[in-house]
Amino acid sequence: MRILVVEDEAKTADYLHKALSESGYGVEIALNGLDGQHLVQESEYDLIILDVMLPGLDGWQLLQIIRRKWQTPVLFLTARDAIDDRVKGLELGADDYLVKPFSYAELLARVRTLLRRGPPREVEQFQVADLSLDLLRRKVTRNGQRLTLTNKEFALLHLLLNREGEVLSRSLIASQIWQMNFDSDTNVVDVAIRRLRAKVDDPFQLKLIHTVRGIGYLLEVQS
Amino acid sequence: MKLMPRALSLRLAAMFALVSVLLMGAIGFYLYQSLQREIAWRDDQALLGRLQRMQALISDSDSIEALRGRPKLYENMLGNRDNLLWIVDGAGKVLIEINPAHLPLPSLQAAPVAQLSDGQYAEPVRLAWLDVVNGDRSLTLIAAKLLSEREQMLGAYRLKLWLALSVGALLAFALGGWVSQRGLRPVRQLAARAAGIDVQHLHLRLDDFNEVSELRVLSKALNHMLARLEDGFAQLSRFSEDLAHEMRTPLSNLMGHTQQTLRHGRTIDEYQNLLVSNQEEYERLARMIDSMLFLARTDQSHISIKPEQFDLHDLSAQLCDYFEGVAQEREIQIIDHTCGELMADPILVRRAMANLLANALRHATPGTEVTLASATWEDRLEVSVHNQGEPIAPQHLPRLFERFYRCDPSRNQPDDSGGLGLAIVRSIMQIHGGRVSVDSAESGTRFCLEFPLKKGSSES
Repeated sequence: MRILVVEDEAKTADYLHKALSESGYGVEIALNGLDGQHLVQESEYDLIILDVMLPGLDGWQLLQIIRRKWQTPVLFLTARDAIDDRVKGLELGADDYLVKPFSYAELLARVRTLLRRGPPREVEQFQVADLSLDLLRRKVTRNGQRLTLTNKEFALLHLLLNREGEVLSRSLIASQIWQMNFDSDTNVVDVAIRRLRAKVDDPFQLKLIHTVRGIGYLLEVQS
Repeated sequence: MKLMPRALSLRLAAMFALVSVLLMGAIGFYLYQSLQREIAWRDDQALLGRLQRMQALISDSDSIEALRGRPKLYENMLGNRDNLLWIVDGAGKVLIEINPAHLPLPSLQAAPVAQLSDGQYAEPVRLAWLDVVNGDRSLTLIAAKLLSEREQMLGAYRLKLWLALSVGALLAFALGGWVSQRGLRPVRQLAARAAGIDVQHLHLRLDDFNEVSELRVLSKALNHMLARLEDGFAQLSRFSEDLAHEMRTPLSNLMGHTQQTLRHGRTIDEYQNLLVSNQEEYERLARMIDSMLFLARTDQSHISIKPEQFDLHDLSAQLCDYFEGVAQEREIQIIDHTCGELMADPILVRRAMANLLANALRHATPGTEVTLASATWEDRLEVSVHNQGEPIAPQHLPRLFERFYRCDPSRNQPDDSGGLGLAIVRSIMQIHGGRVSVDSAESGTRFCLEFPLKKGSSES
């Protein structure tokens, strides 16, 4: 999977390069709009991450040039989050946008969604180590024992399992589980995770739900 | 009003001048008319008198011929070139003519009693005539007077009147200007005083104009405006100061902690700790900037909200669900008594209520209840959030919704809302045309959101 990042801020470009490479993507960087245009015309990418404020050729113009020929998914980054700006980007053919400052976990989640071709496949059975979740029967077992979860706990576990191995930020969890789309400064998510852990992890030797300090939570088998 | 001059004093002076011209003109016209009438009356009397004397003279004299022999007598008697006299017999023959102006004999109707009329000549002439019988002859006596002298005199009088009127108008204009300049002096003083008030002197007030009642109203209104401005300005500068302070705290944490760590080589754990701590500060800053942007946008009056009809109970059920875990950890029970429909922007209302609920949970005494309730009145819908806990001191209540205002100035509370939560609630209510209020007593603290109801937009 090849990603083109068009970003004039050297530090941002550098960290996006490092982070996306670490996540397993092939990354190329263009530091201005004209280089970006050149690279788009030279080779093929699976995704283009575009900053709006660019010297030479700005993000909007570059987006228009790209859309004339290619249907490559475009995610644009902007520090201006006025509604008009977002609407403009989406109207010009961008697939998604992210407002600076954004967390890397958030960016990665968006990138994965955009790169996933077609509708996400609906998994109905999850199995991680000795934990299993059956979506249709709404049944969760661990080590053969049936666990009784509330609706929200079930939804949270489902989200973690669905994104197994992916770090989920608190705001992503809040918006997915409770449709709370603003950054609240309450520790609602931490409390919910703690309660889920009490049922899923605490009675067992192998811990599955992990805290990634400063970022969020993930579910995976860690050695 | 386009023709009016711009300066008020000039305008007043012009009006003074206009009024005095009208008044003086009316008086002058009246006096002139009376004078003219008086002179005409006296002239007529003189002519009639002359006819009478002639009549007496004729009856006394033996014959007309004797009289005709002494024309000088009449000329002397009449005295000047303006007076004319004819004596005409029944056959139309002129017996005596004293006519220095050489006017033709007028043709006149028979007049058994004395008649007066204006003559049909190029020059103005006044005529008086009378038919008399002298012995066997009937005679017509005609006395006339040329009016040119009188016209000249009246003409001169008119000219003088016009002159007086013009000078009077000029004087009225000048005096009026001077008077209104003097009269408007307090206005200029007020302007000078007001001009002296700038950002550094917003505390000044315009108190010196109480003796002029019109200006008292004006200066009072200006003082009210100044008070509001001062208040707003103070709030704004306090806000900028607070903002700088709020940003400085996390920045100084970031800088200090990072510099301290970089002084020596550290273990990976220590670096990780630093990064995590930094991350927390960054998030705090990002949240603050988000809230600031939100407030800045809602402050702009032209912001558009997307009101829609929604069920209040559904919304609060969602919020209760969201906060359930946190409440249980603190052994607090959330009770939801809300009902009814509301026409508002659901996302904004949810945010406002979430802020109030988070606040209530933060300050509620463990083991008590937090109650959500709603009440519909004729013109408004109230949504309230009540918690039991230590009451808020009365001096904090009015300022509770200001940005960055904290009852407790020490800012290191564990889950601090950043001091913007209630300001956001107030902004959300303002763009909905409603308000937020708070009361606090021993029984607890109650925040109340008031949404105005438009006709047919809600029922409960």
